[in-house]
Amino acid sequence: MGGPTDVAVVNAALWHRFSKDRFGISGLLIIVIFAILSLCVWFGILGQGWAQTSGSYWASASMEHWFGTNRLGQDILDRTLVGAATALEVGFSVTLFSILLGVVLGAISGWRSHSWLDEIILWAMGVLDSIPFYLFAAALAFAMRGQYFAMHLAMILTFWTTTARIIRAEVMRLKQREFVEAARAIGLPGMTIVFRHILPNTVHILLVQATIIFVVAIKTEVILSFLGLGVSNGVSWGLMLAESSQEVLTGHFGNFLAASLSLFALLMGFNLLTDALQDAFDNRGKIV
Amino acid sequence: MTRRLLYGIPLMLGVTLVSFMLMVYFGPDQTYELLGKNPTAQQITEVRHSLGYDRSFVVRYVGYLKEVVTLNFGLSASSGESVTDILKRTLPVSLALILPGFVLGNLLGLGFGMLTAWYRGGWLDKWVMTASVVGMSVSFLVIIIVLQVLLCTPYGLNMFPVRGWQVHDIGSWLYYVSVPTLALVLVTLGYNTRFYRAVMVEEIERDHIRTARIYGASPFSIMFRHVLKNSLVPILTRVMYSIPFVVVSGSLLLESYFGIPGVGLVTFNAITSGDQPVLKAVVSLTGILFVLVMLVTDIFYKWVDPRMLRS
Repeated sequence: MGGPTDVAVVNAALWHRFSKDRFGISGLLIIVIFAILSLCVWFGILGQGWAQTSGSYWASASMEHWFGTNRLGQDILDRTLVGAATALEVGFSVTLFSILLGVVLGAISGWRSHSWLDEIILWAMGVLDSIPFYLFAAALAFAMRGQYFAMHLAMILTFWTTTARIIRAEVMRLKQREFVEAARAIGLPGMTIVFRHILPNTVHILLVQATIIFVVAIKTEVILSFLGLGVSNGVSWGLMLAESSQEVLTGHFGNFLAASLSLFALLMGFNLLTDALQDAFDNRGKIV
Repeated sequence: MTRRLLYGIPLMLGVTLVSFMLMVYFGPDQTYELLGKNPTAQQITEVRHSLGYDRSFVVRYVGYLKEVVTLNFGLSASSGESVTDILKRTLPVSLALILPGFVLGNLLGLGFGMLTAWYRGGWLDKWVMTASVVGMSVSFLVIIIVLQVLLCTPYGLNMFPVRGWQVHDIGSWLYYVSVPTLALVLVTLGYNTRFYRAVMVEEIERDHIRTARIYGASPFSIMFRHVLKNSLVPILTRVMYSIPFVVVSGSLLLESYFGIPGVGLVTFNAITSGDQPVLKAVVSLTGILFVLVMLVTDIFYKWVDPRMLRS
């Protein structure tokens, strides 16, 4: 745990190890492709015709409609692209905020372990963990009168606890170490020690945790939207699957294939990345 | 033991407080559902008074808490049926729907976990691990839709029902439960296998197991008599703690997709219609179940690992 040069050396070694992992790189590549497509959707370059209806219902794949059209004659490719943007937007914001909340509360509770503050944070985690998630999400959606961000809030409020528990344990372990004792001895304030000296040592855990939350968030968004608790005014792969659940029974597979295959590809990308990161970090001891 | 029970009290208070705030205080307003057309101002006030809308937050929460503690949940606001009766009718359905998939998913995961841990690094391990990553990347919803097309429609085998739950004997139970069970097993198997493998690998790498392997003890005896026995604590923790969610949350998607009248569906409908008595009952029972699970898990720990008696 030395100066910045050591950190740079370790990071370079980790990156080298990661870059040799073919599965991890392909996972990262899939995510990057989806991210670029989503950015194009946000900047209005792609997927703008997602709501436009046309006269050709249930059209099969053609040059004009690559993935065909749905029962309203809407272009399935455009809807798939907008669905990707939705999935990444939900995944990104839920991951970011639940990790932030988990880090801050977990660090406070680990640094001041067994204090009343720690007890309160542990209590809050216990309470949130013992409410069934889908009931919580449904209740929040109705309490917030069906606002779009109720779905995000439900996930953030329940997903941070795992991160907080991990960070709490990690801070409790690290605060016994000599470099923390040294920082205390020279009179650094507690929060400086936690945020500048202890937490940087948990970045590898957070990175893995973030990829895991991303997967859960995307999966949850799809199911919430399917249940009518998520996206209502836009497009989501969950909504496409909800439409397709009736269509597949009558032999129309366009919506279903487009949504489920893109969902699979994106989740696969994240799962491959998670594994590669875990492998790279697991052998950290061998580098240093 | 008593410490755990005492820990259960603030937990229950928290669970009831969150559920009260979300589902009752900020929940759907039922005034106009109970009133006829063109109500007078006085009728509105009366209904609001009978629903308790004119009282303060604290008074209403204490009233809610009192009903939870005395398990007096009253009558469902939407059907007029007693909440206890509703639970008696729907809980067995959810259990009959979820248990086979839960048990099979964990047993298969345990089996694959033991196999892959034993042959760690070999071709079997690699194939199973690849398959589990693929399994983890498929949405529950997609699995359900695919299975339904393949097994319940003329596009596939057309052997099972698309929707419904008319169970009266073992044959009809198997008829309705097979497809949901298969879906549940498929969606959990990847996660279960990886979890059990990780637990087993950690145990197999210990010195006494290595020694036993070198001395040529049979894989069967090593795995079941030593490895499995010593990894019971993480396994029990995982199984026990998933029980409350398996019963309520886990069944919601299956129940709403297959139109099965279980607890998940009833609760979901209660949330959307603001049926407070049903919500109170389900949320508080889940909370109680959670505290019970913690207690039972503690007892299990001491039974499985006597070292824990001291701590």
